[in-house]
Amino acid sequence: MDPKLIRNFSIIAHIDHGKSTLADRMLEITGTVQAREMKAQLLDDMELERERGITIKARAVTILHEKDGVTYQLNLIDTPGHVDFHYEVEKSLQACEGSVLLVDASQGVEAQTVANAYLAIEADHEIIPVLNKIDLPHARPDEVAEEIESSLAIEATDAIAVSAKSGANVDLVLDRIVERIPPPSGDPEAPLRALIFDAVYDEYRGIIVYLRVVDGSIRARDRIRMMGTGKVYETVEIGRFSPKMKKCESLQAGEVGYFVSNIKQLGDVRVGDTLILDKGPAVEMLPGYAEPQHMVFADFYPTNPGDYEDMRDALETLCLSDSSLSFEPVTSDALGFGYRCGFLGLLHMEIIQQRLEREHDLDMIQTAPSVTYQVLDRHGEEHWVHSPGALPPPDQYEELREPIARVSMLVPTEFIGPVMTISTDHRGVFVRQEHLSATRVQIVFDIPLAEIMYDFYDKLKSCTRGFGTLNYEITGYKADDLVKLQILVNGKEVDALSSIVHRSRADTRGRAVLKKLRKEIPRHLFEVRLQAAIGSKILARENIAALRKDVTAKCYGGDITRKRKLLEKQKAGKRRMRQVGDVDIPQKAFLSVLGGESKS
Amino acid sequence: MPPPIPSRAPRGTPLYVHLPFCAAKCHYCDFFSVADEGQDLEGMIDAILAEAHVRAPHAPRTVFLGGGTPSLLPIPLLRRLLDGLEQVTAFRDHAVEVTAECNPESLDGEKARALLDLGVGRLSIGLQSLDDDILRLFGRVHDAAMGLCAYEAARDAGAPNVNVDMIHSAPGLPTRTWREHLRRILDLEPDHLSAYTLTFEEQTRFRTWLEQGRIERQAEEVELLQFAITREACSAAGLEAYEISNHARPGRECRHNLVYWHGEPYVGIGPSAASKLGHQRMGNLRAIPAYLGAIERSGTAIDWLEELSPVRRLAETWWLGLRLSEGVDPARARASAGFEGAGEDPALAEAERLVERGHLERVGERYRLTPRGLPVADAVARTFLTRLH
Ligand SMILES: Nc1nc2c(ncn2[C@@H]2O[C@H](COP(=O)(O)OP(=O)(O)OP(=O)(O)O)[C@@H](O)[C@H]2O)c(=O)[nH]1
Ligand code: SF4
Ligand SMILES: [Mg+2]
Repeated sequence: MDPKLIRNFSIIAHIDHGKSTLADRMLEITGTVQAREMKAQLLDDMELERERGITIKARAVTILHEKDGVTYQLNLIDTPGHVDFHYEVEKSLQACEGSVLLVDASQGVEAQTVANAYLAIEADHEIIPVLNKIDLPHARPDEVAEEIESSLAIEATDAIAVSAKSGANVDLVLDRIVERIPPPSGDPEAPLRALIFDAVYDEYRGIIVYLRVVDGSIRARDRIRMMGTGKVYETVEIGRFSPKMKKCESLQAGEVGYFVSNIKQLGDVRVGDTLILDKGPAVEMLPGYAEPQHMVFADFYPTNPGDYEDMRDALETLCLSDSSLSFEPVTSDALGFGYRCGFLGLLHMEIIQQRLEREHDLDMIQTAPSVTYQVLDRHGEEHWVHSPGALPPPDQYEELREPIARVSMLVPTEFIGPVMTISTDHRGVFVRQEHLSATRVQIVFDIPLAEIMYDFYDKLKSCTRGFGTLNYEITGYKADDLVKLQILVNGKEVDALSSIVHRSRADTRGRAVLKKLRKEIPRHLFEVRLQAAIGSKILARENIAALRKDVTAKCYGGDITRKRKLLEKQKAGKRRMRQVGDVDIPQKAFLSVLGGESKS
Repeated sequence: MPPPIPSRAPRGTPLYVHLPFCAAKCHYCDFFSVADEGQDLEGMIDAILAEAHVRAPHAPRTVFLGGGTPSLLPIPLLRRLLDGLEQVTAFRDHAVEVTAECNPESLDGEKARALLDLGVGRLSIGLQSLDDDILRLFGRVHDAAMGLCAYEAARDAGAPNVNVDMIHSAPGLPTRTWREHLRRILDLEPDHLSAYTLTFEEQTRFRTWLEQGRIERQAEEVELLQFAITREACSAAGLEAYEISNHARPGRECRHNLVYWHGEPYVGIGPSAASKLGHQRMGNLRAIPAYLGAIERSGTAIDWLEELSPVRRLAETWWLGLRLSEGVDPARARASAGFEGAGEDPALAEAERLVERGHLERVGERYRLTPRGLPVADAVARTFLTRLH
């Protein structure tokens, strides 16, 4: 196809503003999907996406739209709206020249509207603002158009008002895409350069590589090389998404599609890499993607130690299609061998955990999310500290720093007071406040990431009756009065239970941890002493009295097996219990401490 | 796949026979038994004999008729059972101990004499309590007077070896009363006294009632006190505690039950009966129709089987052995468990730690529970069962 007739665009918006529904209508109007195959949010085909009603992965699809007697090829990418998946948005934007910025006309501009719009501006996109859900009685398109102009400086007076639900005016959006978004600028005659913007693993066909051809073209049975990994393959099949994979002869500059090459080695494909012809002339690598910045870390341990290898395979497979996930091996005294994973946020973490369990049938234990700290040592060098256990003694460092997030909250004006309160309660420092319109205000705070990880978002939601939204980015690391809260069991420090906390919180947290442990650690033959301490200063104690009576009255031949199993039950597989000195600590006890914070 | 049919155990292997019928189901009991009403007792006896035909060892050293309530069988059926067993095993000439469990409602002079005539030498009578209210709470079908009568009947019939089963720490049983009951029982001069702390086993009415708050468990201190008093009183009467809940005149320890605690092999027949053979433990089907059906088809009714690893055998030997006052000799434990670890005996290190803590003591070559270890014997056992690798 002539590149002049191609348009590549992403649909971006705040969560739930109707991107996937708009994509549905576009698929329908252009006849890409037959009416009987149509279902709501068709592109959300992952089980978890359908269950939760949100988009998790960006999906590309090719549609054909006729305007003034000319057929155009439109490559559409539906992106997720949730902040945790913004890396998907970033990746998608690089494969396009323009974006449809969708805004729910009843909700107005929200945090991710702003964040994603800025990503599109940075990517030099032609942005087409579209107001959605005008069928709703409380839709206020004019007001929202003004909000777009004032908060984003994007011309919105002629924004198209649509209903993605009914399909009203969606054809106008397609026309405008053709009119406004520039065709791809690549050179069809130049040597092949294509951007790998996604990949998924298929058990039968190997890795399916999603690509956007920038220059030249790619055909079946081409020998191609991935510049970054240096791997060479012959393309077995190439094709487009319609939205199912559909074979084609070739993909030209500007087009979006896939290729299959029976690649089984997960490491051979890297999202962001540049694809070229193996024997072709030297070309410059495409810029690719910036490393994702992981906000949240948590450890995954297989419940069955024998699953350790399977877990690695599963994580590698997930990493392929979700390059924003990172993992590395960890060992814990308490939980054995596992992986420390980096996520973009809590929802991302939850999704990965569920995908491991469902798609890879793994049973696992997950520790509470934690952030990465930084220490400045005596020689002025900075080191990362991923877990409290790795923190050197206080006399060996100058400063202990924590990540600070710049949190931008969009809320109706009447909730300014409560939002200020929860922000300062979470050690937030006020940055600024701006009115987007008469009724909506943007409040910006710098808040330690550790403080917003657990329940901040829930609190914001509840103190604004569900209207508040937030977006955040890490702005840097800052020293504060942070201490390592140690937990000692019969005088022995248990690293897996220790945490890094602000000094002002140490006391409360220490007490809470001991209470939980006291509940979960069974009585022993001897007294078990629990202590929470900072260095040599004991903040709290609890004792678990020694067992006084624990004896089976009857034990005869008929019952030996069952009685033995009962006695062994507390252990039932090595992983259920960890020994610290002579004390057996059940895994439940660790989890109540490591994972329990969010619930307390 | 059903487990393989076990071959006949070697000559002399102890034999247990499970008779799964009782007059009524007691509320605390988790043994496998059902009320006898409407049951085909005869069919059961024939099935048990059919199983004996395939599995019962020749010349068993000991025989134990348990249940359930074997004494509930009418005399002709008892004869059919014991004569049948005699035919298969010739136990009458070889067994040094033949026990039958009896309950007061089905043990009179005639029954006792019949049992003795049929080759039973040891009668174990379930009195459980001398308090009629508690007996009612227990769901027993006899009262205290009947219990005492049954004991007299056994003695009058000339039973040379009699055990009495009692339960302490029942809800509302004052320690003073228990002391008094104990004295009355010991005055009868039984050869053996089994005295159990009341337990609330899974799937019993008592457990349900406990969870519903309809009955209350005695405080830990009371249980401990009644347990301690029992040992003292028995010892003063010449019945030393040789196991956690078992007391006997010297030489009158239950030879059959010692087999269990020593980890030796035994064969069990009848519904739910368990066996230990070599390094395997196995058990029969419980449900009566399932048991009868399997016996009819193949002469056996094995439901489950487990192969014990060397470490588990060793741990088990310590667990069971420590229940006995004689304790455990590590070298013999290794030998009896067939534990051939080349390096150090892993149980020894645990035992030494428990000595340091004061829960075990070393007497000569043997380790045994101290007075401090005794009330927490399960926790001690757990350290062996869960820590040995
Ligand atoms: N009334 C009305 N509801 C709409 C319209 N468009 C979408 N919705 C509803 O809004 C909800 C969210 O729609 P989605 O298409 O899943 O939103 P999304 O932007 O793709 O959401 P994420 O991918 O999770 O960010 C669904 O319940 C839709 O049915 C519309 O025009 N009118
Ligand atoms: S008589 Fe014995 S076996 Fe039967 S139910 Fe009562 S306690 Fe259990
Ligand atoms: Mg969506």
